[in-house]
This record gives sequence, structure tokens and C-alpha cells, in this order.
Amino acid sequence: MLLSAAPVYAAERGSVIRAGDLKAKPYIDAATSAKLTANQQVDIVSRQGAWVQVQAGGTTGWVRMLNLRMAEASGKPTARQASLLRTGSSGKTVTTGIKGVNEEDIKNATVNYAELQRLGTLAVPPAEASANAQQSGLKESKVAYLNKEDGK
Amino acid sequence: MSIRRSLALLASAALLNVAMTSSGQAQLGGFGLGNVLGHAKTAKNASGALRAIGEPEEIKMGGELAALLLGAAPLAKDPARQHYVNRLGQWLAMHSERPNLPWKFGVVDSDDVNAFSTPGGYVLVSRGLLDQMRNESELAGVLAHEIAHVVCKHHLKALQKSMGMSALTDVGSTVASSQGGLAGAVGSKLLEGGRELFLKGLDKGDEYQADRMGVIIAARAGYSPYGLVGVLQTFSAAPTDGGFALLTKTHPTPTSRIEALDKAMGERLDTLPGLVDDLPTFVQLRQPAPVAAPVTASAQPVAKPKTKKK
Repeated sequence: MLLSAAPVYAAERGSVIRAGDLKAKPYIDAATSAKLTANQQVDIVSRQGAWVQVQAGGTTGWVRMLNLRMAEASGKPTARQASLLRTGSSGKTVTTGIKGVNEEDIKNATVNYAELQRLGTLAVPPAEASANAQQSGLKESKVAYLNKEDGK
Repeated sequence: MSIRRSLALLASAALLNVAMTSSGQAQLGGFGLGNVLGHAKTAKNASGALRAIGEPEEIKMGGELAALLLGAAPLAKDPARQHYVNRLGQWLAMHSERPNLPWKFGVVDSDDVNAFSTPGGYVLVSRGLLDQMRNESELAGVLAHEIAHVVCKHHLKALQKSMGMSALTDVGSTVASSQGGLAGAVGSKLLEGGRELFLKGLDKGDEYQADRMGVIIAARAGYSPYGLVGVLQTFSAAPTDGGFALLTKTHPTPTSRIEALDKAMGERLDTLPGLVDDLPTFVQLRQPAPVAAPVTASAQPVAKPKTKKK
């Protein structure tokens, strides 16, 4: 466990919708590692762009994300859910749960202008967003919106 | 595979023909002008019907509705994440058709998993939603989906439907002449309309449209368009009650949203160059693995800043 590839997403399971190839690499032209049948169960290992690395019948390989459906949760949080983004600069666990954005909370809510004003102070100027994106190496693309059936 | 590929090519070629003959617009590699114009027209139609409400009024109305959501859950006291979400959100919004709105993004302090937007450029995500994100492209997908709702004025459209156009323009003109918060009958009418909308959800077709636009806005800004698909996969495996209850109630099922994206995306976005799944900025915001797993903490890939490029 300690030395293994630490399958953080191992608790995630899914199945492939369509029969197809399990690819050796996350590319459409990559070699085929195994054949997958429709509805075959897989364990999810990691994700990269359009691709998900899975374990299927003892073989690890890649399938397109849109060919995967997730199994419903077992009720337990996955390792990923348990480890990510624990919030609170104070580091203390949030246990009260008095406030929230569930149905009852919204039904009973009254406007909070002080918080709205605070929200206004958080805005980031476009120049800063651009500079940050450039520094992060984000590459812009010109892409038009999709129509409903464009992928068919 | 090659048969499937050629079928897909044939299909997109056929689609291209239809697009060219119906709009008379030249298409460039499938990502053409006709497509952009089609969507711009949709947005224009919406604003045509709602033209009585100008942008300043729209922003003010959106502020009222955001104040209502903030009354349900206040902003998380976490300056680092608030700043991060605003930087990312602003960058994404700059790749939408309304880059000049005064966009404001906030993380609300709630374990519930949800994201909201209100007219004029307000976007709120819950702390619980952030907890569900695998990487930055997933958060980009969620924020871009919300940005799309604002761009298309989906909320105003829904309010117009539920309140009636004259009631909504009344609100608009009252907002225009008022200073500060909206008091009185008109204000409470808007708030009750908004409250009902948050509980009932937007038009299902508008949700699908925001998904289709969200993946593109993310891609334009340099992120993998598959981030949003990953989020929807998370939701599809999640319980439908508890912290997911309102999200579930107000949206089409995650699986039907994935199926709709599958139909719209196919493989056509897979070859866009240089898209990013994750960035160190997102990884930094994660805290070390919980105490329950101290031994494996150092082996957790989540702690590794990776900027995987396709």
C-alpha cells in the first residue's frame, strides 16, 4: 500500500457503456491492451483530459470518460472525498451545520447585505486574472459553442 | 474503432452541410462562425424579450438575490480560497460573451453541495462543492456552467415566466430608481420569486445549455472541457439526499446531463491542444491528508502539483 501507486480513486467504480478497446495510453490511436464488453465493471485509477485510467479484469488501461458511467456510492465517502480541501483557515472542524444552502435554509433565509458587500470586495480585476493565467501557462483557444447533436 | 471513427466523421460532415445550408455561414473545422452566431442570437432573443431591464438593473436585481443566498449561508472566512475562486472565475468569464460584467465569485460556508448564480454576474459555490472537486478543470467546469446561466439570462427568463413580464419590469424600474437595498412590496416580490427559483430550479433545457456552453468556456480559457464531465460523474455516484438533496431536486439527473454532453461533444474537443487538467494553485489549496491516513499521506497523488497536458 505504501509503495503502490496509491490508488486514491480506487473506491470509485464504474462500468463502460459501449463495448470497445482498453487503450494502453490515453490517446485514440494508442495500442489496445484489452477488449471491453458493454457494461463491464471497472475500477477507476486516475483521470487525464478526455480519458480515465481504469483497471478491468486485471489489466490497467485507458477508456474515454464519456464511455464510463459511475457505480452508485456505497454510502461511505471515497478516499478522495475524505482527503480533499478541508476548509477552515482556523483548522477546526465544522460541526455546527446551522447554516447551509439546503432547501430549509433557503426557505428561511433573509437578505444579508453585509455579506453582499463583502462579496463585492472579493472581485479580481481582469488584468490580474490575465496575468495569473499567463503565469500558469494556460493556453487560450478559439472554440465555438456546441449544438445538441454536434458529437454524433 | 476505425469504422466508428469514419461514421463519426461522416456524421459531422453531414452536420456541417446542414449548418452551411441553413445559415449560409462558412464553417471552419466544425468550429465555425455559424455556431457562434446561433448562440449569440439565442442570447439576443432573451435580451430582446427582457430589454426593459437594463444591465445596471439586472446587476442590482442579481445582488438582491445573491444577498438572499448569503442570508442562507455566509461567505467562508477563507481569504485564500475566495481570492482563488475569483481569479479563476474572472478568467473564465473573460471567455464568455459578457466579459465586462462586474463578475463576483464567492465560496459560501456550507457542507451542502451546490453552486448558484444570479443575474448580472454573481456566482456562489459551496464549500461542500469545492470538497468534491478532483482538480482545477472540474472547478472551472462548474464556474463556467454558472457563468453560462448569467450570459444567457436564464434566471431573468425564469422570473419573467413565474412573475409575469410586467411584474418583472416593475421590479426593474423600481430597482433603477432606488438606492441601496430594495425595500417594500416590489423588493419582496423579487425575493420571493428568486427564492422559489432557487428551490425549484431553472428550466431543464437551460441546464443542458449551460453544460454545453460551460465545457466550451472552460476550453477557451485553457482547461480540459472534461472537467465538468468528471464533476457530473461524481454527482452520479453520490447520494441524492443529504447535502446533495437540493442540487438533485433542481437539476436533470447527472447521467442524463452526461448523455447530453456525450451527444454534443463526441470526440470533437479531444484534439484541442494544450489543455490543462490541474494546476499547482488548486493543489496548494488542499490541506494535507486527514489524520486517519498519516502513513500514506506522502504517497497521495493529490499532494503532487501536476500540470498534466494532453
